[in-house]
Amino acid sequence: MLKVLKSGLIEKSSSDSSEEVVTNPRGIPKVQFVENVEEYMSKTSSTIEVTLGKFQETVAKYKFMELNYTNRKKGLELKIPEIKKTLTVVEFLISTQDSDESIETTFELNDTLWAAAKIKSTKTVYLWLGANVMLEYELQEAKELLETKLTTAQNSLNCVVEDLEFMREQITTMEVNIARVYNWDVKRRRVAKTTQSEKTLDMVE
Amino acid sequence: MRMINQDEEVEAEVTWEDQQNINSFSKLNVKFSDIEERYGEKKQEDEYLDDLLQELEQQELLGDEGELVRYKIGDAFISITLEDAAQRTKREKEFLSEELKKLRNEMDSLTTEMEKLKVLLYGKFGKAINLEKD
Repeated sequence: MLKVLKSGLIEKSSSDSSEEVVTNPRGIPKVQFVENVEEYMSKTSSTIEVTLGKFQETVAKYKFMELNYTNRKKGLELKIPEIKKTLTVVEFLISTQDSDESIETTFELNDTLWAAAKIKSTKTVYLWLGANVMLEYELQEAKELLETKLTTAQNSLNCVVEDLEFMREQITTMEVNIARVYNWDVKRRRVAKTTQSEKTLDMVE
Repeated sequence: MRMINQDEEVEAEVTWEDQQNINSFSKLNVKFSDIEERYGEKKQEDEYLDDLLQELEQQELLGDEGELVRYKIGDAFISITLEDAAQRTKREKEFLSEELKKLRNEMDSLTTEMEKLKVLLYGKFGKAINLEKD
């Protein structure tokens, strides 16, 4: 059975996980928590190395996904202040649209190059929508459009943050699983060594 | 990850409840770092606004009542009266203070939650678990 993870990675499910895969609202799978290491290790036919390897692979996948989402989060965190700034300007224009006086402004023509301009009170404004597209809007419409954009961006950001939290949970669970399986193995080897050395002592006596 | 001595080992098994506590701690920790960063940025903004207010008051004292001041709105500067500029700055400062207070409260509640979880987890696992910021 092939499972496609959110980031496009494909994972083959092993024969011992025949249950349904639980996912979060946006399809990120939940990891299996190892209740009892002894029980888990006796059920699986793989060796300790294979099991640890499998676990570490899963952690690596989640960390990769986490990186992608963190980048997405940073992108949104940059976009939101931009939208807010544009919204502030539109609100300012709305507040002065009825006055007769023209607005004196200094604006950025280019990096480190500023120019002075006089703007007459205006009823419309041009919004850059991306992809080389710019549209004229009435002030009120422009304000509403920007407010919608801002809300959408903030909602996306909240979703991404929630997904990142979920991923962090899965990574932590997996890392704890790895630590416990490793510790269990260390103890098992130590016990085996002690029993072995006791047997040798018995033989010598 | 570090190795502990054999005498520091704990026999305690990790239950699902423990795992959930550990996960909560991790989540809270990440949230805390995030908020701490945002708080630092806003605190700096607040200091800039303080400097700005001082400058504006100085200008007022110099008696340049008529002169327009270039106030940054969005990405461009708009020439507005000293009074307007001072008003806008004060409003922004108020808004920022509210945000700073909210962030501070969140950080405090997160710290309290984390301390509670630390007591629980250290109580059960002792040296077998590490919950400190490195």
